[in-house]
Formats: sequence, C-alpha cells, structure tokens
Amino acid sequence: MGAYMSEKKYTKDHEWVSIENEIATIGISNHAQESLGDIVFIELPSVGNSVKAKDEICVVESVKAASDIYAPIDGEIIEVNNNLENDAAIINQDAENEGWIFKMKISDSNQYSQLMSEDEYRQFLEQ
Amino acid sequence: MPFAGFNMPINYKTGIINEHKNVRNHSGIFDVSHMGQILIENNESYLHKLEKYIPLQLKKLIKNRSHYSFLLNKDGGVIDDLIISNIDIKDKSYLYIVYNASRKKEDEEIFISCAPNTEKIYKKNCLFAIQGPDSINVLKNIIDIPNNMNFFDILISKYNNNEIIVCRSGYTGEDGFELSIPNEIAENLITHLLKNENTMLCGLGSRDSLRLEAGLSLYGHELNEKITPIEAGLSWALDKKRLEDENLNGNKVLSDQLKNKLSNKKIGLISTSKSMLRDGMILFDNNNEIGKITSGCFSPNLNKSIAIGYIISEFNTDNPIFCEIRKKLEVVKINNLPFIKKKYKKNGSIYE
Repeated sequence: MGAYMSEKKYTKDHEWVSIENEIATIGISNHAQESLGDIVFIELPSVGNSVKAKDEICVVESVKAASDIYAPIDGEIIEVNNNLENDAAIINQDAENEGWIFKMKISDSNQYSQLMSEDEYRQFLEQ
Repeated sequence: MPFAGFNMPINYKTGIINEHKNVRNHSGIFDVSHMGQILIENNESYLHKLEKYIPLQLKKLIKNRSHYSFLLNKDGGVIDDLIISNIDIKDKSYLYIVYNASRKKEDEEIFISCAPNTEKIYKKNCLFAIQGPDSINVLKNIIDIPNNMNFFDILISKYNNNEIIVCRSGYTGEDGFELSIPNEIAENLITHLLKNENTMLCGLGSRDSLRLEAGLSLYGHELNEKITPIEAGLSWALDKKRLEDENLNGNKVLSDQLKNKLSNKKIGLISTSKSMLRDGMILFDNNNEIGKITSGCFSPNLNKSIAIGYIISEFNTDNPIFCEIRKKLEVVKINNLPFIKKKYKKNGSIYE
C-alpha cells in the first residue's frame, strides 16, 4: 500500500477519482453512465500529455450525445484503458471499476482532497 | 426529455440499442400520443380548400387507404409532412390526418381555416405504434386484423366493443401498425399487448435510430419550410397532376424543379471510424464546404454511426467527402438510402 490508498472521490462533472501511490485512476460515475445510455465509442486521451484540472481531455459518445471528460486535477496522463477501444460498453457494465478510463500522475494532492466524497456526491445528485 | 411540449422518454429500462434490436427482430410498442390526429368531414368544399396545401387529389382518395403527403407553403416548402386517410366512422366519411406534434399550431390553423368543424380527436384518442416482424401476431391475439390488410391500408377494428382506428404503417421500415385508441381503454389494450414477452415499450431514441436506418425524413431535420418535397427526394409522394393546378401552393416552383437540376441533393452517410455523426455537422470536399448533416445516430444494425444530410448537386460522389467532427476532418462514406431493406407488406401502393 502506498502513502495513502484513497477513498473514491467525485467531481461535479460526474467523474470519479481514486488515488494510490500518487497515481490517480479516473472514470465516469455510475450515475453519468446511466444518464448517457448505451456508450458506443470513447476517444481516449494521449499518454504523456500534461493536463490541468478542468481541461477537456477525451470524449465519450453514447447513442444520445457526445460528452467531454475533464481532467479532475493537474497531472500527466500515464496510462489509458485500451480495452475500451474495442468495447466502450464496459463503461455501462461497470463504470466505477473495469470501466476506468485513464490514469495520471498527480502533481497536487490538495486538489484531490477538495473533491466530493461519495456521500457529498450523492447529496449533489439529489439537489 | 421535453419534446414538442410533452415529457417523453428517450428510452425505457433496457436502453436504446436493445429496444432498437427488439423491433428489428420481434416487436416494440411506441407511445406517439403527442402527435396530432384530426378528422375532417369528407365534404367537397373542405377538400377543395385543403387541396391548396396538400398535393393529392383529395376527392379521389380510395376508401380505407392512407397516403404520405405534405402541407405546402406558397413557395412549395414543407409546412409539415403527414399521413392522410379516407375512412368511414359510424357511417360518416372522413379524412383522418396524423401530423407532427411540433407543427400542431401551424397545421391546425390551416385545417380549421379549410374546415371549421375539424375535430381534434387526439383530445380523446391516444396513438400507439406496434412495429416489427412479430407485430401482426401480437396484435392479432387481441383484435381482428384481416389477412389481406396491406401496408397503408386503414380500417376500424374493435377492442372490448370500442372502436379503434388501425393503419398498417409506421416509422421504422418494419411491418407494423398504428392504433388510434380511445383514452379510456388505451392502458388496458397496451397492457394486453405487453403480455407477449417478446414485445416491449420503446422510446424516442430507438424511434429515431430505426427511422434513420430506414432513411425516413424527420420534420425539422430533413424537412422544413425552406425545403420542397422534391429537394428532399420525396417527389414520389406528389400527385404530378396536381402540379399543373394553380390551386396548389407552389405548383410552379415544383413543376420547374421536376424539370431542372436541383442545387442540393439528399444523401446517406456512414462513418468510417467509430466517431458519431450528428445533426449540424458540416461536410467538405478537399477544399470547400459542400453540405451539412441533418440527422445522425448510432446504427445498431450496422454497428457504425449513420447520417442523412444535404450536399450540393455538383459534387462528384466518386471524390472523398469529409465531415468535421469536433474540429477534425474525418472521411465519411456515401451510402444509398435506406441503410436497411424495408419490409412492408404490400401489393401495389403509392408508397415507394
């Protein structure tokens, strides 16, 4: 286990983030998956790119609409989930585990602490 | 989702793709009660006034048949597209017209100006469509359907002694029926149909992907007041005799268009990558803008995105065509419409 094995946190743009050894894993929330409907394609981000929080970094296409995915925190993209290239519907089946989209090396863990906890996200959805 | 003043489901529990496939393989039921339905008495003076807008010989419509047609403005542009039928209800002859929810205001202004006692039967009748190869068997279990009923035949049948209007038609490219059902019995009838385990309720999402695969136009996308039926590739639906009639709106424009080359043409497109083609995307040749997509979706049958759009007629379709998708140009492939083979039951109708 690393310096901190994190709880899962959420953004207002419906992404989830979990952190292990300063590596963040990011996907879209189960709620986002449900509202998007059948996901047919994902344009994955490029490995090696440095991004800032709120940057648009990739796109999820569902039968209903195209949705931008934003970087939840600053960092460098170090890995993408290549399984999604052939079968983007994995996100519909298991958005918050097998359906992870990319991993990044983060530069500022304070940004992570400011994201919503699972309870806060649930309250945010109810508003 | 709000749609033409109604709150409509995009999909039910199992999702758009599953609903779509169920209609292609079995059957699915669509609640289209938001659409307009009116009855106009079959009276010569009303028909004459309506013939100003509708490019059919209304006095010669065959009883118990439906026709795809339009309301036309002065320039021959499409105010709305609609299905018009000649049918007897309780021994009285009527035109029964089904039209788009989004055009109720414009259409009804015309209907009422032509026939003041136009009856808005959508106030007391729901409209449902059952679509797909199994529709006939699912429906036959609960109401009488004659064996010789063809595509665009229409008749009155009964469910628990209530009269319902049944038309063999739809908006998916499959065999199917549209049912105008009195509000009081609609829930019972639909629940009865849904007892068949292979049928399911379907929403607006699959309605759109099914009609797009079938190459069918949607008002507000392929059709609007600035596009004529000829420009939209629907000249087959015009009664050519009516184009010589001064009483028809836009008759000169339309006759000229039939004789001359059009400036734009309607095309089908298939994505060559996994990207989705969507309404409003711009099409290019090697240098210039040549057209626009008017409808796009994911096609569950082709497992790729498909679209309908308009491009300038002089574009040589042997040359590559590009679509701007999120600021990048991607090659797209031109495909004849429809994308799937339609499966209507017919022997001699005016519909294609």
